[in-house]
Amino acid sequence: MEKPFAIAQCSTAPRFLLALFLFSTLAHAQNTAPKSGQNQPAAAAPSAPVDYDGWGKPIPPAIKNQKPDPAPRRDITGTWDPGNGPDDGGQFLGAKALPVDGKPGHEPPFTPLGLEAYLRTKPSNGARMVPPGETNDPELLCDPQGFPREDLFQLRTTQIVQDREKTYMFYEFDRVWRVIWTDGRELPKDPEPRWYGYSVGKWVDDYTLVVDTNGTDDRTWVDHAGRPHTGDLRVRETFHRVDRDHLEWTVQIDDPKMYTQPWLAMDKFPMRLLPPDMDVREMICSRAEFDEYDKLIGNPASDPAADKVSH
Amino acid sequence: MPEDGKPEHRPPYTPAGQEALSQNKPSNTVRSVLPTETNDPVVTCDPQGMPREDLYEMRATQIVQTPLKIMIMYTFGRIWRVVWTDGRELPKDPEPRWYGYSVGKWVDDYTLAVETTGLDERTWIDRAGRPHSDELRVVERYHRVDRDHLDLSVTIDDPKMYTKPWVALDNLRFDLQPRDFDVREMICSPSEFAEYNKLVGDPASEKGKK
Repeated sequence: MEKPFAIAQCSTAPRFLLALFLFSTLAHAQNTAPKSGQNQPAAAAPSAPVDYDGWGKPIPPAIKNQKPDPAPRRDITGTWDPGNGPDDGGQFLGAKALPVDGKPGHEPPFTPLGLEAYLRTKPSNGARMVPPGETNDPELLCDPQGFPREDLFQLRTTQIVQDREKTYMFYEFDRVWRVIWTDGRELPKDPEPRWYGYSVGKWVDDYTLVVDTNGTDDRTWVDHAGRPHTGDLRVRETFHRVDRDHLEWTVQIDDPKMYTQPWLAMDKFPMRLLPPDMDVREMICSRAEFDEYDKLIGNPASDPAADKVSH
Repeated sequence: MPEDGKPEHRPPYTPAGQEALSQNKPSNTVRSVLPTETNDPVVTCDPQGMPREDLYEMRATQIVQTPLKIMIMYTFGRIWRVVWTDGRELPKDPEPRWYGYSVGKWVDDYTLAVETTGLDERTWIDRAGRPHSDELRVVERYHRVDRDHLDLSVTIDDPKMYTKPWVALDNLRFDLQPRDFDVREMICSPSEFAEYNKLVGDPASEKGKK
């Protein structure tokens, strides 16, 4: 019997699907085994799992108790990994600072309209989780995550490059890029909505870049928990470079139609600098892979063999 | 090399390449099928992959160089890829990726040659459904003609599918845009496709039945 697709093939497909459906621990276990390319070192000792980059090179672990060099001035360029491990940015229960885990105080301050919109979203994880076949999460159709969800779900290795006029963000998930204009322009007044909106950034001191985004598409969810937003959403990101090797990433949601006051979705989320020759793995949503997954694993009723048994 | 029925525009297929081509049902070109009958993976918003990112909906493209790598940002799909220029070799037996593994070398002061391997064979080379295998090697040649112009050529080399390499893009000219130019958004959305097919693309759907 053929093995289930998501397990049988050691490609990006199973990593992607496992990461979505089997939660982060198992996904990380997959990621810790060497998979790609050449230069595969000997297997790491079980007690010391090693993660690998997209080219198959081991990612050096964070060095503890070493004082890093000072942060460079007005520079967040680099290849950044979640500081507490590659899965720390998974955020399967919703925004890191406010997960839907059933704990009191973890709900954002909904307006009545916001609560109504929230109750219409059917996430596939968290305390409001529905079976996979009943979710209306647009991301599971492989629609674009959009912004700010790109920060708030599957935030993994992120490359940042600056030039004179703009800062480029290169996300691992869906291999998508966005641009933050730092040339002094203002946000557009009445923009046509885009999946990733319009972003401008300003340095508020030599180590802190504040980025405002508007014009986002209200078909997207704020996070994996299905927090809603309207076209009035304004997102504020704060990137604070603590020292050469560490960056803190904060995300604030402000949408007066959906929330009575702004709320923090990520609060000083730690990122650590990787060596510049690290190759980022590929993790792209594929509808065809989802269909295959549903056929073989996610929707047993679609299995022709199951029909034969039932008849 | 468009698939327009002209004999000179036919890549040099091997028998396996010809057979693979016949399995692909594009929604354009002389082999066009109805929208609902195509098996073009991009129509379901699967990643285009390489080299199709160069060969279909190639629009405004941003290129940023760093000391070790070049980042290429495409309009279509808002996809980025990396070309390593740090002297590394291509991996010997790579796990396939939609966008493969790319390394670049300057062959003169104005010409960067980029080789890509390790490509996922579920993708098509182009909109016409030209096939490829896991042995595909793509060579891109970026030639900066002057400050304001860049030419891109793409050569396809896949001995399983083609008897010899063939040129898919021959000096496609790009014009340098002002530095404050913001690239428009153009991303495939399965839900938008479904809506389109319901309203327009599938005449046998609800509207057709009325």
